[in-house]
Amino acid sequence: MSDRLTRRPRRSWSDVAFSVWGILVMLFLFAPILVIIVSSFNVGRLLVSWDHFGFDSFLALLAKPAIRDAVWISVQTGFIAALVATVLGTLAGIAMSRNPGKWVWWFLGLLLLVSVTPEIVDAVALLPWMVFLGQDLGMSLFNDGIVRLVIGHSLFSVAVVSYLVRARLVGQEANLEEASADLYATPPRTFAKVTLPLAMPAVLAGFLLSFTLSLDNTVIAAFVSVSGSTPWPVYVLSALRSGLRPEIAAVSTVMLVLTLIALGLVAYVLRRAGDSAADIARTMGGG
Amino acid sequence: MRRRSPGFLLALPAWAWLLVFFIAPVGMVVWFSFGYKPSIFATQATDRLSFDRYAEVLDPTFFATFLNTLWVGVAGTVLCFLIGLPVAYWMAVKAPPSRRGLLVALVMVPFWTNFLVRTIGWQVILSPDGWLSSALQVIGFEPLAILNTRGAVLLGVVYNYLPLMILPLFVAFDRVNGPLREASKDLGAGKWATFFRVTLPLAQPGVIAGVLLVFIPLMGDYITATVLGGAKGNMVGQLVASQFQTAQNWALGSAMAVVLIFVILLSAAIGAGIVWLVTLPFRARNRLVIGPPAPVPSAPAPGSGPAATSASIREEVGA
Repeated sequence: MSDRLTRRPRRSWSDVAFSVWGILVMLFLFAPILVIIVSSFNVGRLLVSWDHFGFDSFLALLAKPAIRDAVWISVQTGFIAALVATVLGTLAGIAMSRNPGKWVWWFLGLLLLVSVTPEIVDAVALLPWMVFLGQDLGMSLFNDGIVRLVIGHSLFSVAVVSYLVRARLVGQEANLEEASADLYATPPRTFAKVTLPLAMPAVLAGFLLSFTLSLDNTVIAAFVSVSGSTPWPVYVLSALRSGLRPEIAAVSTVMLVLTLIALGLVAYVLRRAGDSAADIARTMGGG
Repeated sequence: MRRRSPGFLLALPAWAWLLVFFIAPVGMVVWFSFGYKPSIFATQATDRLSFDRYAEVLDPTFFATFLNTLWVGVAGTVLCFLIGLPVAYWMAVKAPPSRRGLLVALVMVPFWTNFLVRTIGWQVILSPDGWLSSALQVIGFEPLAILNTRGAVLLGVVYNYLPLMILPLFVAFDRVNGPLREASKDLGAGKWATFFRVTLPLAQPGVIAGVLLVFIPLMGDYITATVLGGAKGNMVGQLVASQFQTAQNWALGSAMAVVLIFVILLSAAIGAGIVWLVTLPFRARNRLVIGPPAPVPSAPAPGSGPAATSASIREEVGA
């Protein structure tokens, strides 16, 4: 009994230590984000030095064509890249889960290679490749800014969507599809009415994650983008050299809200599909 | 059976896409790395192949950058592990289950916020004219002089990749949580013994995933070093980028990219070897304790929980 009494406070002491450490790390994780959000209400010439409070920086999104265009390019690219990655990844994920065999290991190996290759290597590889396709082979499609960005941004996302869709379908038996085939549904009909709805939560989550990934992609975008279609992160990167103004923070805050909405939707979709916090963490921690 | 062959074809578009836009370009870079830069106006030529560019990469100035990158990579990964481990443990084991979703969300938000913008946030915080520096000066310290040093890069990469360590560790601890740890305590193991002989070995896949997820992108980092490092905190990512963007020497840049990939693979292999050697005595002791794979009583968690747990025990025994 006395042993218990003495042990209790000690245990709670270590619990407190864990909580304090956890909260400190959370603050550390949010510190620069809070700084950016606060800075977006700064009215002044430079991001670093605080002048006074105001909403002027947000108006730059409407007033400055360069910023407006960059954001618009990013949103367009994000949408198309997410669409491409979702279609390719969903088909590949379904094929892997429903037609297992030796080829799946080769394909997973390729996806692993895509996801572990440092982004800078993808970037420097795509630059000469696009020049080769566009200029040496004369396929003018590959000189288009948005096409280049979509290709660069979709690579990692294809891998992410494939993982997600495969993981969702592997956990479910193919009984329903077999039943559908027994009931004389044609393969395309089975695909549309049974397989696709089963995979839907993963498909939606994959789409939104791809959109966010594309919106944030800086390294590949910096290499493949052509002048005239500069996406937002590349605009920020070039502003870094010429001096950061508060409007960078303001637009970043708007983009952050956009990202949060996308993430909130992912979590909502996965929750409704019955995932636990750990499942969601696994899904969104990059497969 | 009828559906089998068309089903396989569904993966073809993705195969083709990745072959054309991933394998082919990377292959082209490998090919370029054996070439040379023929003149000021040309970026590369491959009519004469040699290993000369690789010799050039090992030149002392470039080699110093590789060493610097490796130092930041190893130190950053170790720091992420030491900082992230208690946080993941706290989230999965200590924090009340009802708050787990919120905590995961809190780690996720910084992770999914624009990498460049987060790093700029640190630039603002660490700036010698910023509010933190002024506050420190009021208390009587020197103005902050960390920006544009290797220290700032280390802080930046630890910050940027920390969520990639916390999330897989959280998932791993979340799986181990429950009956196995209780059993260990019931059998008389203390808190530390339970952690080091049950929880941590079973969380091993998560630890490996976390370390690789942090180390690989960290070694190729380009943005953190560009924003926070200045001239002193140079990393290989910037070196490669500058060969392609400013120096226009694609042959040398390609060789650097290839060497970077080899350095990453080699250090991951060496790291695995060291860990294997260090944990050898522990595993020898644990092998008797855990025994052959038996149906493991697990928490009624849905999905892959029980299967994964017994799989990792099997790995442990096999190792």
